[in-house]
Amino acid sequence: MRKVAVVAGGLCPWGVRKASWRELVQEAGKAVLDDSPDLGKGEIDSLFVGAASPDRFAFQLHVAPLVADMVGIHPTKMVARTELACASGQAAIRYAWLAIAAGLSDVALCLGVEKMNLPDMAEVQTTMTAVLDREWDAIHGASAPPFFAMCAQHHMMHYGTTRHQLSLVSEKNHGFSSTNPYAHFQRPIPAANVEDSPMVAPPLRLYDCSGITDGAAAVILASEERAVELTDTPVWVKGSGQCVSGNNSANWRSLDVWDSMRQAAKTAYSSAGISVSDIDIAEVHDCFTISEIIAYEELGFCKKGQGGKFIEDGQSRIGGKVAVNTRGGLLGCGHPLGATGIAQVVEIYQQMQSKVPRKRQVPDPKVGITHNLSGAANVHSIMVFGRDR
Amino acid sequence: MMGKKRSDQKLVLPLAMDFCSPQSEEFTRISRFFDELGKGKFVTTKCKQCGTLSWPPRVVCPECQSDELKWVNLPRTGKLWAFTELCMGAPRGMEQDLPFSIGIVELDKIGLRLLSRIDTPFKDLKLEMPMELVVVDMPGDKVFFRFKAKRKR
Repeated sequence: MRKVAVVAGGLCPWGVRKASWRELVQEAGKAVLDDSPDLGKGEIDSLFVGAASPDRFAFQLHVAPLVADMVGIHPTKMVARTELACASGQAAIRYAWLAIAAGLSDVALCLGVEKMNLPDMAEVQTTMTAVLDREWDAIHGASAPPFFAMCAQHHMMHYGTTRHQLSLVSEKNHGFSSTNPYAHFQRPIPAANVEDSPMVAPPLRLYDCSGITDGAAAVILASEERAVELTDTPVWVKGSGQCVSGNNSANWRSLDVWDSMRQAAKTAYSSAGISVSDIDIAEVHDCFTISEIIAYEELGFCKKGQGGKFIEDGQSRIGGKVAVNTRGGLLGCGHPLGATGIAQVVEIYQQMQSKVPRKRQVPDPKVGITHNLSGAANVHSIMVFGRDR
Repeated sequence: MMGKKRSDQKLVLPLAMDFCSPQSEEFTRISRFFDELGKGKFVTTKCKQCGTLSWPPRVVCPECQSDELKWVNLPRTGKLWAFTELCMGAPRGMEQDLPFSIGIVELDKIGLRLLSRIDTPFKDLKLEMPMELVVVDMPGDKVFFRFKAKRKR
């Protein structure tokens, strides 16, 4: 396998954008190409588009060639859209990495996008619901918030996790997003305000939930040979892990022990040759406050059941054991499904180049991970990145 | 649309995207599940070869790939294993039901856990509470199941 590096990254401003699906694509395409001035567009031989549901959000299939149109590139090696619900963006990066590592591509663009704010919001809720097993689970009106609410119910019951600990996750991530001009949510939210926000699905309130957001993000991956020519500061893909546990609710053996996440982390760390104590920075899938708390545990940052204490002790802040979600996470940036996994890698890339605003800069990060869950936490996808080759 | 704000426009889903898929034998090989459910029975498939009980019903056993399956009865009662209430953000066609309870019911004897709409108000729900199956009519002559708190006798 050839070594692969991230050589450029960029995104458009996220939020409730007065812009269409294809305009978001153009903005992110410009951002990533502006970040790689030494790269001729003709060198991009492959394109992977992370998009969860352009079929419904934009009534458009065959989106990868449309993205090639919008960005003005003509890939000659590999092209596809990758769909893995909330992990669609990371899926794009995984395939680009695989193609380059295998020698099928030298330079690949990964662009993730979702346009979620539409004239009728019931349309968005309907599409999001269909991430679950639509015929047998979603038909009950279940979607992400009720599932993660029940995870929180069990985690509170089994491990004594508190309402306040959930709120601290939201406070931390909104604090970070207030330093991020690309984030959907630009204001800090104190823990007390989280507890006063409207109920979505008890115990989860509005500020326990990530937003419905328009956004796009892009990275360029290159082979070792091309990477060192293109930049002095490439960020290397060191390893990855992924694990699946079906989709239907009959597969949910536990709501607060995520075995498949633990397995994905184990695979990722061993393939990268790292141990958990090497990780300086982590972008984890905080679609809800409870998911970040369970992520601390299953990623091995703390013992099972100690996730609430981990945030309470400030261990996931800069200066703690591992800086988690410094760009603001899904809670602070919003969650345009296909763009999230790619924006997380942009953050790791920029952190390792000391390019982020000082307030959220992690001192000298050498090893970083990104994590996405998808569906009812049925699939966990983890990638490891390193500053050193 | 003169004078009407664009945000007032409603998009309409094509019928093929209804939450409730076609249930007749013309469209699915498990139409028997819905026929039985219409009569108040709750069934699924079990592999004749390896004995694996599947949920939802299958046409091929996911364990041994045998396509010789038989229909068996499922318990129509269980206990509430987890629950919450959806207060906002319902999908199309369910907005008028808000707020509504959602839970996971562990079926008696076999331990199969099913996500379900719970036709009992959230404030009246407790973990481990006995539940019973209810059959509901769905648009287009279709049926589906839910659970509710079991009535005390």
